[in-house]
Amino acid sequence: MLNRETLQRASGDGRTLAWLGIGLLLFLLEAGAAATFTMEALIKIALAVPGVDSAGFLTGLESAARSIPTLLSREAIPNQGYYNGSGYQETFLGLAPAVAWAIRATLVYVYAFGIMGWVVAGYRLYRSTYRKADWTPRDDVLDRLRSHNWGLFGLVIVFMFVTMAVFAPALGPTTVDQNMRNSYGNDISYWDSESGSVETIVVGEANLGSASRGNNQNVGPWSYDDYGRFHPFGTMQNGRDLFTFLMVGSRISLVIGVLSVGLSATIAASLALTSAYYKGRVDLSMVLVSDAVMAMPQLLLLIMLTTVLGDTWINEIYSGGFLLALIFAFTGWTYMWRSLRGPALQVSEREWIDAARSFGQRPTTIMRKHMLPYITGYLLIYGSMTLGGAIISIAGLSYLGLGVAPPTPEWGRAVNLGQDYVRTGSWHISLIPGILITLVVTGFNALGDGIRDAIDPQSDSAGDETAGAGAGA
Amino acid sequence: MSETLLEVENLRTVFHTDKETIHAVDGVSFDVSEGETVGLVGESGSGKSVTARSVLGLVDDPGVIEEGSIRFRGDELVGGNWDQHRGDIAIVFQDPMNSLNPVYTVGNQIKEALRIHQGLRGSEATEKAVELLEDVGIPDAARRVSEYPHQFSGGMRQRAVIAIALACDPELLVCDEPTTALDVTIQAQILELLDDLQREEDLGVLFITHDMGVIEETADRVNVMYAGEFVESAPVDELFEEPRHPYTRGLLASIPGRNAEGDRLPTIEGEVPTSTSEPTSCRFAPRCDYAFGACEEVHPGRVRVGDVDTDHEVACLLYDDTFEETPPEGGVEAHGGESA
Repeated sequence: MLNRETLQRASGDGRTLAWLGIGLLLFLLEAGAAATFTMEALIKIALAVPGVDSAGFLTGLESAARSIPTLLSREAIPNQGYYNGSGYQETFLGLAPAVAWAIRATLVYVYAFGIMGWVVAGYRLYRSTYRKADWTPRDDVLDRLRSHNWGLFGLVIVFMFVTMAVFAPALGPTTVDQNMRNSYGNDISYWDSESGSVETIVVGEANLGSASRGNNQNVGPWSYDDYGRFHPFGTMQNGRDLFTFLMVGSRISLVIGVLSVGLSATIAASLALTSAYYKGRVDLSMVLVSDAVMAMPQLLLLIMLTTVLGDTWINEIYSGGFLLALIFAFTGWTYMWRSLRGPALQVSEREWIDAARSFGQRPTTIMRKHMLPYITGYLLIYGSMTLGGAIISIAGLSYLGLGVAPPTPEWGRAVNLGQDYVRTGSWHISLIPGILITLVVTGFNALGDGIRDAIDPQSDSAGDETAGAGAGA
Repeated sequence: MSETLLEVENLRTVFHTDKETIHAVDGVSFDVSEGETVGLVGESGSGKSVTARSVLGLVDDPGVIEEGSIRFRGDELVGGNWDQHRGDIAIVFQDPMNSLNPVYTVGNQIKEALRIHQGLRGSEATEKAVELLEDVGIPDAARRVSEYPHQFSGGMRQRAVIAIALACDPELLVCDEPTTALDVTIQAQILELLDDLQREEDLGVLFITHDMGVIEETADRVNVMYAGEFVESAPVDELFEEPRHPYTRGLLASIPGRNAEGDRLPTIEGEVPTSTSEPTSCRFAPRCDYAFGACEEVHPGRVRVGDVDTDHEVACLLYDDTFEETPPEGGVEAHGGESA
């Protein structure tokens, strides 16, 4: 018996070392990006402190971090090059820009799924070797999720979306700075087939020449424009690259979505626990407050608040994204609170709550320790579904010309910009972002469904309320 | 004479619902002294558990202690003063699966109580938790302490619950049907354990059950509860030998094995009414075979019966001299099986 245990531990140690080694390798591949990200964040924080107007030391560190080689960077696998009559210059291994870009994008996703696999392997190792208990209730939940195809589909979509947001700068064939914000400050070289020589042109000019404006002038998906630039999703009506726009746009959608859902989940969970613990009048007053908030038409409130607060300092933060997240959180918590209150009330009836009260545990500790674990599952379900709703709402506001301020890319604005060309050859400008929004929202809802079925095997997927409709935008 | 721990006087706990006010506990009084076991027995819905919860201050909204006093070592608890005696009164609930939180290890839950009441943390707390598990008779406690409740059997779980109660170092233990969810052999073990612990620590115990057999084994003094009131209170031997109230007699008659004659077990027809108003009659009258005219008009007060030195009280008009009917001699048979 003892012998078997030591053996098991020893083989576990070997596997742990291998697992740690792979983790280190995966980290080193992206160490430069991680270091740069940390330094950038530190500089921002340092500059935010009043009285500090330069962070020379940190800037030095940042440039050092930038020089660390990173596998999945535009520098390591460049795709922006030009044809000089005999071959491609400045691209990865002299490959065509489309191929170089495809290699980089594929590697990004391979890397991301590698990380996911590494985490899963780590958990399994922990479960088989290090955890004392052979079985915990969580195991069943995970096993059920693993055999839930619809939920797994959602998980994969959500994971790909998050990867898109995290690796946005590396995924685009060009950068936001070069292609959009500062298009007249950058120039590119291209092969002019008429004169038979390499010419140089300002990006802004090139954009004008490669705009998608219907049947006469169009750069569709998976094609090159006249300046040798590859566009996986084609160009927009102003000649900018749609793929780059969408990749960077996914960041703002995710950040606003997570921030607003995180905030409303915090509000909803603490209020649900409070009303379930104290019941009676406390509960009743919260029902009244939430009913009052719910009674306000959310879309109109959103439009009003974005307009009224449009000129204030708070709208400056993150292109107005922070303000949007706040508005979503303070108008949207009621739905989640309603959904959490039932389960919280159920838990509050369990005897271990009374047992804890009888030996004098503080109410806040009882709520956190003995009640919260039972509603976190529901938090995940409704959080996932609300996140989909939030993404639709953000896109809806941008479509209406509100919300995230241009030129920060946002999916809804792409739909808006392309709507005049839907019936022409430039259909891709509206359609591709529209499909992506639908796919991502479906993914979040599917994940929510999967988590619900995993947590509560008795729950019936049909006939349950769906929070996916979200803010109704 | 040992010191009195708990004094409950004229306790009234009511629940205000939208439709009506339910008098769950309607004016009960009892004392528990050190080393004494006071039994509370009655059918489901008679108000036993609400009494227990009232004593611990666990009555939830919309319930409220409307009247009466609960004193622990002379300190009044009603009015939100439970915190000064938290841990002095501990409770053991009916269903051990329900009173242990399944997401934490048993040790974790014992340590939670230890931390609050004895200020122990870390390895010190773990040692103490193992010690407590050993005290309640869990073998291999050092390993068991880091296991989850689902890895324990029913009897072990109840032992763990008792260990948690002991971690508070209580003086009074309230047992709310602690053996109802267990099978008979385990029940006997748990009762024995409670008995040992009580003698070791000189605990006062308030023991609540619907099982007359268990009460006979454990209690020193028994209060029979019906529809929120005590209908009979007596020392255990006296109560079992000379039950006075027709309800008590009915309860005793329905214990299997006590009545040899008759091939069917006698039962008490009907069920406990929900008291929604001040009593104007005897609440047991509709089910009582000995009810007479006055029972429908007068709410019986408590009268002292039996020998002068035995503390035996009963709330029944049969024993009130101002009314004419005489109590039955010998034993009251509840509805015989033959007529059922």
